[in-house]
Amino acid sequence: MAATSMAAALAASLPAPTAAPTPAAPTYEAIPASMAKVIDIEAEIPLQVVQLDGLVVTKIIKHARESSSATVHGLLLGLDLDGTLEVSNAFALPHHVSDEDEKSTKSSARYQASMLRSLREVQADDSVVGFYQATTLGAFFNQNLVEIQAIHQEKLRHGGVVIVHDLSLTARGNASFRAFRLTSSFLDAYKKSNFSTTSLVNHRLTFSSILEEVPLQVRVNPLLASFLGSLTKSTPSLLPDASPETAAPSVLPPSFSALDLGTAGLTKNLEQIIEAVDSYRTEEGNLAFLSRQIARERARADNYVAKRKEENMARVAQDLAPLPEEDVARLFKIPAEPSRLESMLLLGQIDAYGKSLASTASNNIINMWSAKASI
Amino acid sequence: MALGGSSAIHIQSSTTVPALASVPRTPSSITVHPVALFSILDHYLRRTDDQPRVIGTLLGTRSPDGTQVHVRSSFAVLHSENDEQVAVDMEYHRTMYELHSRVTAKEAIVGWYSTGSNLNTYSALIQNFYSQETAPHQAIHVALTTGAEEGEEPGVQAFVSSPVGVFPKPENCIFVPVPVRLQYQESERSGLDLLTQTALAPNSTTAQPVTSIANLDATLSTVSQMLDRVLAYVRQVLAGEVEGDKALGRYLMDTLGVGPISEKGGEDKAFNTSLQDTLMISYLANLVRSQAEVSTRLALVAA
Repeated sequence: MAATSMAAALAASLPAPTAAPTPAAPTYEAIPASMAKVIDIEAEIPLQVVQLDGLVVTKIIKHARESSSATVHGLLLGLDLDGTLEVSNAFALPHHVSDEDEKSTKSSARYQASMLRSLREVQADDSVVGFYQATTLGAFFNQNLVEIQAIHQEKLRHGGVVIVHDLSLTARGNASFRAFRLTSSFLDAYKKSNFSTTSLVNHRLTFSSILEEVPLQVRVNPLLASFLGSLTKSTPSLLPDASPETAAPSVLPPSFSALDLGTAGLTKNLEQIIEAVDSYRTEEGNLAFLSRQIARERARADNYVAKRKEENMARVAQDLAPLPEEDVARLFKIPAEPSRLESMLLLGQIDAYGKSLASTASNNIINMWSAKASI
Repeated sequence: MALGGSSAIHIQSSTTVPALASVPRTPSSITVHPVALFSILDHYLRRTDDQPRVIGTLLGTRSPDGTQVHVRSSFAVLHSENDEQVAVDMEYHRTMYELHSRVTAKEAIVGWYSTGSNLNTYSALIQNFYSQETAPHQAIHVALTTGAEEGEEPGVQAFVSSPVGVFPKPENCIFVPVPVRLQYQESERSGLDLLTQTALAPNSTTAQPVTSIANLDATLSTVSQMLDRVLAYVRQVLAGEVEGDKALGRYLMDTLGVGPISEKGGEDKAFNTSLQDTLMISYLANLVRSQAEVSTRLALVAA
């Protein structure tokens, strides 16, 4: 049981992620030699892979599908062991309707703290290892995700991960989960909150280098595996004249939703591309306006300096004392270069929509040929 | 689809008696969402050594007339039982319910679960407690056998209770089994498929994410295997090696005979139009992606 008691010790040694009271001083047991290599108190072993428990998979899918709001968030709980981040539980975070930041942040923190406390009482894992977010058509880039993950990577052990679940892919028969973290170069730029062009160039940032993907595994514990096995087993019907559907019913009949020929999602996808391109254009317009303003101000400042220099030269020629060189920055307020983060994120969204459209289209082509082959 | 044994009683609600609006009817069918079951299994895995069974609260919705109960999720509740007494941590239960209702406001307490098929006096007492929580509706009880103990099959049973005896006492009641089904949305189906595939995989782990193409490939090869199996069987029957099953033959005719068989020309035309549309979309998607890529690179050289 060394592993679990160590886990408690690790949880206690964490800079408490939320307001949860730290448990009483943990009792240390001698670490057996076989485990000594895989337990790292200082979080030195880098994360290789994220492992998602079956329970978490269903919880995220249910929350994402039932929620009425566009953004679905929840916290992931688990442990890391020898480079594997095991996510064993998750809970949904309430959606805030109001924008009263102070109040909602506080109540959200309270909610998290009491949820974690409650889960600990029933021996569930209670250390936060990241969060999940649901998305449609693969476009998960947004400010919100970046902000939360930036905070997590500061505070959490190993920096935490974000799991992105794609609702529209799941509806098409391919349950999609991906794990991400922010790249160090992006985090560096984010900490300085500097997304000017030079900073982007220095950090070599494009939308594809904001996040790095962490390999993800799904795991089912043996108990759940055996239970699922009994669910998929079909039992012959007792009725002699059952129809084909009811002759050998099983709780989980095989599904072939991937073969659906419908193209309902395509229009939505195209619409969303147009929408994203529109907002990108607006954002670009803003940026262009701001940079023109900067250029104008700068030109005026340069003009002023040049004029002053000329004047001074003239005065020196007439043996007069030169006028003092005034601080230009004080006279002319040159606005700071605008942040390009938003436009970069929007480009990332456009790319994701395009990717999802391309993959749908290629699937559709295969489906059409296979349907034709069967006629 | 029905879960568990066939011993459940299908209660026929008597339509002749005018249903009083104030008195909710007894639940006659119960559906369970997979997430509730999986939570129970997880709770069972995490029990302490001295706990023979675990219990928890079921959350869900009811149909307007109260005859159908949909269990949507569940959470664990602390309890202790020994030879003399049983105790349920009510405060914990209230806190958890309050926390859950902040996210899913629609879900109300519908009953409780326990692992194992053992129904005893304590079950009746807990049932009595939950009946107070769900009043005026009846509480339901879901018993999940994990299959981890010897001689029991994994399965799910659901019960409603009715008082028994001349003077109703909380520790006396009859648990009446009701039919229970697994229910999930079609769009959640692929999540379950993912888990069943994972359960069959070595080490019970699968790497993610699976691309749509790989997924499609797997589905198509399943279909092709099924066709091969049917074809092999039909050949065997034709060769006289096995005696044909008439029922099976009819099933095959029903299943394979439904395809649209129309004149060739129209279909080809429709196919070609659709193919061109799809190719166009594919081209468009790639164009959009390359534009985005170029645009983000240009932002870097603008300095």
